[in-house]
Amino acid sequence: MRARARLVVARDDAGRTVVRELRSMTPLTLVPRRPRVRARDGDDAATVHLVSSATAPLGGDELDLTVVVGPGAGLRLHGVAATLALPGHHPGGSGADVRIEVAEGGWLEYLPEPTVVTARADHTATLRVDLASDARFRSREVLVLGRSGERAGRLRSTVHLTRAGEPLLRQRVDVGEAWLDASAAHLAGRRVLATELLVWGPDPAEPASGDWWSLVPLARGGSMATALAADAVTAHHALATAVAAHPGLRETIPRHSNG
Amino acid sequence: MDFLGGPGAASVLSLADSRFPGGGHVHSGGLEEAAARGFVRDVDDLASFLSGRLRTAGELAAVFAAAAAHGALRRRGRAFWAELDAELDARTPSPAQRAASRAQGAGTARAGRVAWPSPVLDDLLAAAPRPHHPVVVGTLVGLAGGGPAHAALVTAYLAVSGPAGAAVRLLGLDPFAVNAVLARLAPATERVAAEAARHAGTAPADLPAPGSPALDLFAESHIRIHRQEVRLFAS
Repeated sequence: MRARARLVVARDDAGRTVVRELRSMTPLTLVPRRPRVRARDGDDAATVHLVSSATAPLGGDELDLTVVVGPGAGLRLHGVAATLALPGHHPGGSGADVRIEVAEGGWLEYLPEPTVVTARADHTATLRVDLASDARFRSREVLVLGRSGERAGRLRSTVHLTRAGEPLLRQRVDVGEAWLDASAAHLAGRRVLATELLVWGPDPAEPASGDWWSLVPLARGGSMATALAADAVTAHHALATAVAAHPGLRETIPRHSNG
Repeated sequence: MDFLGGPGAASVLSLADSRFPGGGHVHSGGLEEAAARGFVRDVDDLASFLSGRLRTAGELAAVFAAAAAHGALRRRGRAFWAELDAELDARTPSPAQRAASRAQGAGTARAGRVAWPSPVLDDLLAAAPRPHHPVVVGTLVGLAGGGPAHAALVTAYLAVSGPAGAAVRLLGLDPFAVNAVLARLAPATERVAAEAARHAGTAPADLPAPGSPALDLFAESHIRIHRQEVRLFAS
């Protein structure tokens, strides 16, 4: 089954971000949230929730999501339920392809829920992000290697982040080969890998790190926070510690919608 | 492929030799930090570390060395080298890893300029005065007449041989046993190199980008701790 979802937001004449196009396709459902209080000064962003059915993606599924943020528009795209990469009945595994464009002066906060790589999963996830030169972008990825007591299936997750055509980050992470997951040169036996990308104002002048987390400035702009942990709670704490060291985010944290 | 009969074979031996004066001996490839944290204590731990390193950092190095050799054989100009440099930067999120790669690259370039002088190398160094290590190694292999497969094999091998040597010095492991680990890794090293060489002509933006999250965290920790206490290796 191939599902194609598409979301386009733009800034209207009043300066508010409005949804211009929204196409969901099972099992990818996009749910726009209306601001409960319109009076939040200066916060004219749109919030859309990304709802995946609990059984997606199944083996054989291909999910495509395209998100376009127009000039000057702001969008929070948040997940609302844990994504499970489950085994399916089709050979060849499953795939999710997310393409994001953010135009001049626009921003996007893309915070999907964790991906749990269950035992017989065989999943390929690709995120491609193209930013205009002054666009802001923040995204998070949390990979959980199997449910409690379960060994992980296969996942290959790749991110391409470019700004004005120049590469900021290209990275592939492979999980699910037990010997490789266990190696101190890969995941060091830790079950949760959490990363956050930040192209959001000034980057830190120096890296910050603890034993199992870091916030690093990328070579050509943007920053990346990384945490490795034995469990999701510890990973979230460590990632939050790393992100808190980011100077750009401290300046302008977009307010979070609680739905 | 007639791997050893063709031109460039001797350059492979020279660049893979631990006596090559490129300054690689001061880098442990994350082994020192892994050992300091107790992840590598014996020969079995080392085998696990090196296998993982080969499949992550080793593959990345081999891919870029192969692409560089491909470019050197075709006498590519500054724009290509600048693009290759930017693409490897994008695949190296850790500043400590970038610094280690460029330190070894600069050392290798100094030695290479004397051994294999060429306008191609000048163009690489004009685009990247402190080039990434795999890129300059691949370039030198190409200038010596070798191909992408040679370059990939050198860098895949260096990705494990350097840390293996560091393990002997840091942990006092039996050098014969450590050498046997490298010998057992030979088929995997050759596989990684052959796969990397297949991508040699791929556009730089589309080259593989294997990450190694723990190695990146170790590299940052290593630098942080290095400032407070003496470490034997620079990375």
